[in-house]
Amino acid sequence: MDTLARIKDLASKEFSLDAQALDPAAPLDKLGIDSLSFIEFMFKVEEEFGVSVSDEDLKGIRTLGDLERHIAAALSAAGKA
Amino acid sequence: MAQRRVAVTGAGVVSPLGSTLEDFHRALCDARPGIRLLAPEVARDSGVQVGALIDWKPAPLIDEAAAANLDRATQFALGAAAQALAASGLDVARAPERVGVYWGTGLGGAHTLEAAYKQIYGAHQWRVRPLTVVMAMNNAAGSNVAVRHGLRGPFANYATACSSSAMALGEAMHAIQAGRADAIVAGGSEALLTPATLAAWQALRTLAPADAGNAAASCKPFDKRRNGLVLGEGAAALVLEDYSRAAARGAPILAVLTGYGNSCDAVHMSRPDRDGQVRAMREALAESGVAPRALGYINAHGTATAVGDVVEAEAINAVFGDAAAGIPVSSTKSMHGHLLGGAGALEFTAALLPLMRGWLPPTAFLEQPDPACKLRHVPLRAERVDAPQAVMSNSFAFGGSNVVLIAERA
Repeated sequence: MDTLARIKDLASKEFSLDAQALDPAAPLDKLGIDSLSFIEFMFKVEEEFGVSVSDEDLKGIRTLGDLERHIAAALSAAGKA
Repeated sequence: MAQRRVAVTGAGVVSPLGSTLEDFHRALCDARPGIRLLAPEVARDSGVQVGALIDWKPAPLIDEAAAANLDRATQFALGAAAQALAASGLDVARAPERVGVYWGTGLGGAHTLEAAYKQIYGAHQWRVRPLTVVMAMNNAAGSNVAVRHGLRGPFANYATACSSSAMALGEAMHAIQAGRADAIVAGGSEALLTPATLAAWQALRTLAPADAGNAAASCKPFDKRRNGLVLGEGAAALVLEDYSRAAARGAPILAVLTGYGNSCDAVHMSRPDRDGQVRAMREALAESGVAPRALGYINAHGTATAVGDVVEAEAINAVFGDAAAGIPVSSTKSMHGHLLGGAGALEFTAALLPLMRGWLPPTAFLEQPDPACKLRHVPLRAERVDAPQAVMSNSFAFGGSNVVLIAERA
């Protein structure tokens, strides 16, 4: 499974959403994901991928697509991808 | 202007005796205990042997993903509150800012806190769930009830150990009488049967060991053989409502809450004090105006500790004098265990049984009444009676907080 698919899978479980219908370009709040829920979700994403996203980077994440790019970069920096 | 009367228009429970009002009341009538041996993974090495645990499934009320983000105590609260609101038929959306939440809990999110500490001190992983704070905070249960139902009126959360939810009910009554709200969802919840919390309780040396012959009979209030309390978990919620509005909308009126006594022993952190209890009972009686002879049932605090039961019996006799011989008293903790912060609301709901259905809930397993607890007991089995005019429910807490509630027939 690629990174985006894994993120969508996690998000669908966390927020009871249909993974297929998750638009990676949609703003998180449009998906019904508020800031507090997103912080909790990030905790699980970081666990899943074994990487961490800095607080500074976190502020720039507005969509699941943004999240994918940060995770991919972190994986690459860690030599995991 | 006449004082606004406060009706009870809905009740909901999540309890070791069942998780509907109907099941709870039926279990009390049948004297069916909810106390069991604790599974090894719950008791661990705490030494605690028995408890009144709920076989809880959040679905369908709370879906799996949402439940993962709510402490067990909050899930219980949501269960009880949803039942109470549904039963009341209250249309919250008509004036959400006129409907409040008054809740009570002792410890708050004990499971959440313990999970976090376990991770830190056990696994040495200092990264804990971001939701730990909002799941564990003491007001999480009440706040989630407010969020779920959009209740935007006054909010309060009481943490006075074993009197917490009784206090929530009494203060909610006063808030409605003062015109601060038209209706309030009031109650309490507790879920603290975790290994570390059990160990802390065990250290107090107040918990009963398992009865050798029948673990379900381990809690024996007022019995010569009593040897301590049994911890339980759960929640109870009542919809309290301005009587005239409730009557006008044709709401089911289960009872009328008319008396609330609140006192502090100011003597000792854990040793009960007769005079403090007497003051709370007298205050509730005075506020309600109920004559002692009109009182047809007292749900005692009755934890089954050696000292506590005697002091409460003395307090009841001090308040009622000769009339005490004619007032049936029972401790339903013999069946559902001690819900601590949730106890007051659950036991108030038990005390509605005589008013609503004409049954006195018993003190289960009371085979050998202690002569030092001289009361008109309801031993072993429920008793059929004409619905009394009024009932009383006592809740006495560590820290010396005493709360007494009086409800009258609708």
